[in-house]
Amino acid sequence: MLVFIAKRFLWMIPSLFAVSFLAFVLIQLPPGDYVTTYIATLAASNEIVDQNTAAQLRERFGLGDPMLVQYFKWIWGILTRGDFGISFEWQQPVSDLIWERMALTLVLALSTLMATWAIALPIGVYSAVRKYSIGDYFFTAFTFFGLAVPSFLLALVLMYVAAVEFGQDVGGLFSPEYENASWSFAKMVDLFSHLWLPVIILAVSSTASLIRVMRANMLDELPKPYVTTARAKGLSEFRLLMKYPLMIALNPFISTIAWLLPNLISGSVVVAIVLNLPTAAPLLLQALMAQDMYLAGAFVLLICALTLIGSLISDILLALVDPRIRLE
Amino acid sequence: MAKEILSRGVTRRAVLGGMAGVAALSIAGRVSAAGGEAPALAQLAKDGKLPPLAERLPKKPMVVTPFEKVGTYGGSLRRGLRGSSDHNGILRMVGNQSLVRWNLDFTAVQPNLAERWEVSDDATQFTFHLIEGVRWSDGHPFTADDVVFAIEDCVKNTELYSSTPAQLAVAGKPVTVEKIDDYTVKFTFAAANALYLENLATPLGQHPTLFPKHYCSQFLPKYNPNIEADAKKAGVTSWTELFRSRCGDIEIPSRWGNVDKPTLDPWVVKEPYAGGATRVVMTRNPYFWQVDTEGNQLPYIDEINFGISQDVESLMLNVISGKIDIQERHISVLANKPTLSKNMEKGDYRLLTLVPSASQQCQIYFNITHKDPAMRKMFADKSFRQALSIGINRQELIDIVYFGQSEPYQAGPRPTHPWYNETYARQFTEFDADKAGAMLDEAGYKKGGDGFRLRPDGQKVFFSIDVIPTLYPDLVDALELVKAHWAQIGVDMKVNTIERALYYTRGDDNAHDAAVWPGPGGLDPMLDPRDFFAFHPQGSRYAIPWTLWYTSNGARGEEPPESQKKRMKLFDEARSTADLDKRGAIMKQIFDIAAEEFETVGLCLAVGGFGIIRNNLRNVPEKEPDSWSWPNPGPAMPQQFTFTS
Repeated sequence: MLVFIAKRFLWMIPSLFAVSFLAFVLIQLPPGDYVTTYIATLAASNEIVDQNTAAQLRERFGLGDPMLVQYFKWIWGILTRGDFGISFEWQQPVSDLIWERMALTLVLALSTLMATWAIALPIGVYSAVRKYSIGDYFFTAFTFFGLAVPSFLLALVLMYVAAVEFGQDVGGLFSPEYENASWSFAKMVDLFSHLWLPVIILAVSSTASLIRVMRANMLDELPKPYVTTARAKGLSEFRLLMKYPLMIALNPFISTIAWLLPNLISGSVVVAIVLNLPTAAPLLLQALMAQDMYLAGAFVLLICALTLIGSLISDILLALVDPRIRLE
Repeated sequence: MAKEILSRGVTRRAVLGGMAGVAALSIAGRVSAAGGEAPALAQLAKDGKLPPLAERLPKKPMVVTPFEKVGTYGGSLRRGLRGSSDHNGILRMVGNQSLVRWNLDFTAVQPNLAERWEVSDDATQFTFHLIEGVRWSDGHPFTADDVVFAIEDCVKNTELYSSTPAQLAVAGKPVTVEKIDDYTVKFTFAAANALYLENLATPLGQHPTLFPKHYCSQFLPKYNPNIEADAKKAGVTSWTELFRSRCGDIEIPSRWGNVDKPTLDPWVVKEPYAGGATRVVMTRNPYFWQVDTEGNQLPYIDEINFGISQDVESLMLNVISGKIDIQERHISVLANKPTLSKNMEKGDYRLLTLVPSASQQCQIYFNITHKDPAMRKMFADKSFRQALSIGINRQELIDIVYFGQSEPYQAGPRPTHPWYNETYARQFTEFDADKAGAMLDEAGYKKGGDGFRLRPDGQKVFFSIDVIPTLYPDLVDALELVKAHWAQIGVDMKVNTIERALYYTRGDDNAHDAAVWPGPGGLDPMLDPRDFFAFHPQGSRYAIPWTLWYTSNGARGEEPPESQKKRMKLFDEARSTADLDKRGAIMKQIFDIAAEEFETVGLCLAVGGFGIIRNNLRNVPEKEPDSWSWPNPGPAMPQQFTFTS
């Protein structure tokens, strides 16, 4: 097992290189560069950039260099100095910008994950065991509803109701007094008092699909002979369910841990923008739109790294949970 | 204010510019004795943490007459920014402190940090007399040294600015700035620069007052030999980067990203506009150098809080629920007007009318210099363009897309402008499909079998018009209607909706058939004449190669025809003509030629935008020009805005 883990770690290094290179190329693919986009953004408000300034900006950002040169300069800085480069847009080191955003993203992602599982698992088991009961129909209806409503729409509706009908402060993850405060216990409390709304919005659609998956998996397992045998031997219904069919039905949950993170980041972009959440998604989107390539590249690189780590975790967990999977 | 803000030409010569300042100064004597200040500052001064008011203000502070009444201190003004690259949203509100400024009507330049000035007869020398005793926001005196430093050491430093910003260079040579005495500076240009004062009042004219010498000199090699080491320590690769991140520039986010940089603005940065910021907070400048008519130090409002919304819809939601005090930026599209009007009571706000400074809502630029010779021939055919123009049913378009709030228009100064040219503005705007068809027949574009016309070389008459849907959704709707109108006269067009970086790249490469953009120059024809001749290397999209020829003095691009060259020459002449009447006469010749040549096809007069003001926010003019050159609401002086309760 340890050898396996070590091997996986080693494989992650070339994967990261490949991914970072691809990301860099993709960010550069659209026509124009940061300066074009910058001028275009200002032109949107009919504001004018001096012609000389535009030429200077290009020169200053090294946008004249070939892409390979730009890439190697960037990756070399990361490897040797942990320096992710300077964000064109903000004239700030990228590493100043990403860490807090990534941390908040992880908090949001993990909270959503836990909320999703906490709702989906019991309901999935329930509707499998009580197939075609009123409860099952109710939850089935709920899941279709949850899948059908786009989460950004849900966010907008909830925000409208909260802001216009109840005069609540919506959007963001902190109250104004904590927004730029340093971390403290009070700020944590404030964070969690704001977190529930985005968590619910994000959890609705993934919960819906997970309930369906769980129900189907359980329905597969329940009629199997080992369940009948265990029941015949007098095992209590609850222990019986928990011990065998549930464990096996969990398999798809665990094997998708790796995708959860990128899914939550990319899937939450629109919601994060609508709700004004200070997570990675809006900053990443802006960086991509502005072709602020070092900033965007750093985010993509980190998300890929997290995906790779996630897939390692899910492999290890699978081996532990499912006795049918064994490594040599 | 008049029905529409009247402009007797933004180019009004401000030889008498000192007048307002003089009038103001005469009451200043009695003012400085009475003067009040914000309670928080008074407390600080009492505790000895801040010098007393009299020492913070100039001896004769600039007196601002409040718009409605003398205000009361206090309050936090809430306004919205949108995501990143919205630094000019801050600039428009607070960063308007140049040597001179615009008056409220956008017609004359007034004293600001310079209390008066003299201009030489040939418009090459400008001598500015600064207000004595103005202090930067850290208490350091602002003097002629700062102005000289900003231009000579910063702007003319070729490592920082590889070429001098256009405003500060004439005839290819940068301006020279010299100190006469502590409060007098002289700007000398290589050739006449009659528009300099007007340019100085626009945001791009802020360089002379942007860089405090005592602070920014530490980031220049000339004053700090260890600068490279300092740059390394700060984690940036070169001293120029360090300079920009600490001292900023007119139009970059980092101008608002450093809380330590002293400024001359009414509010200074408290929570910076940095990457990932969710809001920007600015707090009053204790050394601000303006007072009201009773001698109270401005600004009245303690703090400005810019919330950063990623999404316009959530900004709208904040407006409707009364969480924004003044806003026009981002929400001022016509489509939002019904929602905002309906919720006026709920949000407790009133509407603000913006008078467009632009001329044309949607200008169609056929690429007369197209790379494909056949296309070029077609677009360069004046009767082809005229036929297409009268083939558009403008009234239908105005009713459907612009809720009836416009009128058919081609180009040129707005009807209220003294230089308004009836022919240029209204020719070929009447809808007549039959006549258009006949004109096309005559020009050699006969109808083919499928009802669409053919070029003389047998190809179908077909072209695409580039438009950016995310930027101007209304232009897409307008073009869809135009497409239908043109289909009736046998011309096939594709509405080419593209992303904005691509739009720019295609323009820069001269790879577009045609493009649309709102046409500027309605109230400020001297500042952006891009539709009148090939003036703007990115904006005059009917002939980018000609503009390159013009801006590079013939070194690049393509030599334009005589009528263009004539207009270029006339414009250069107008630019160096100090006398407003003479300048108007020259510009009118340009409009006559432009009307004759009919290079662009306009749809309708630019429609006014609007905004909201919370009912408890006073001293705000409810009608103001909407322009980058008059960076609303800045020239309305937010420092004298005040809350009633």
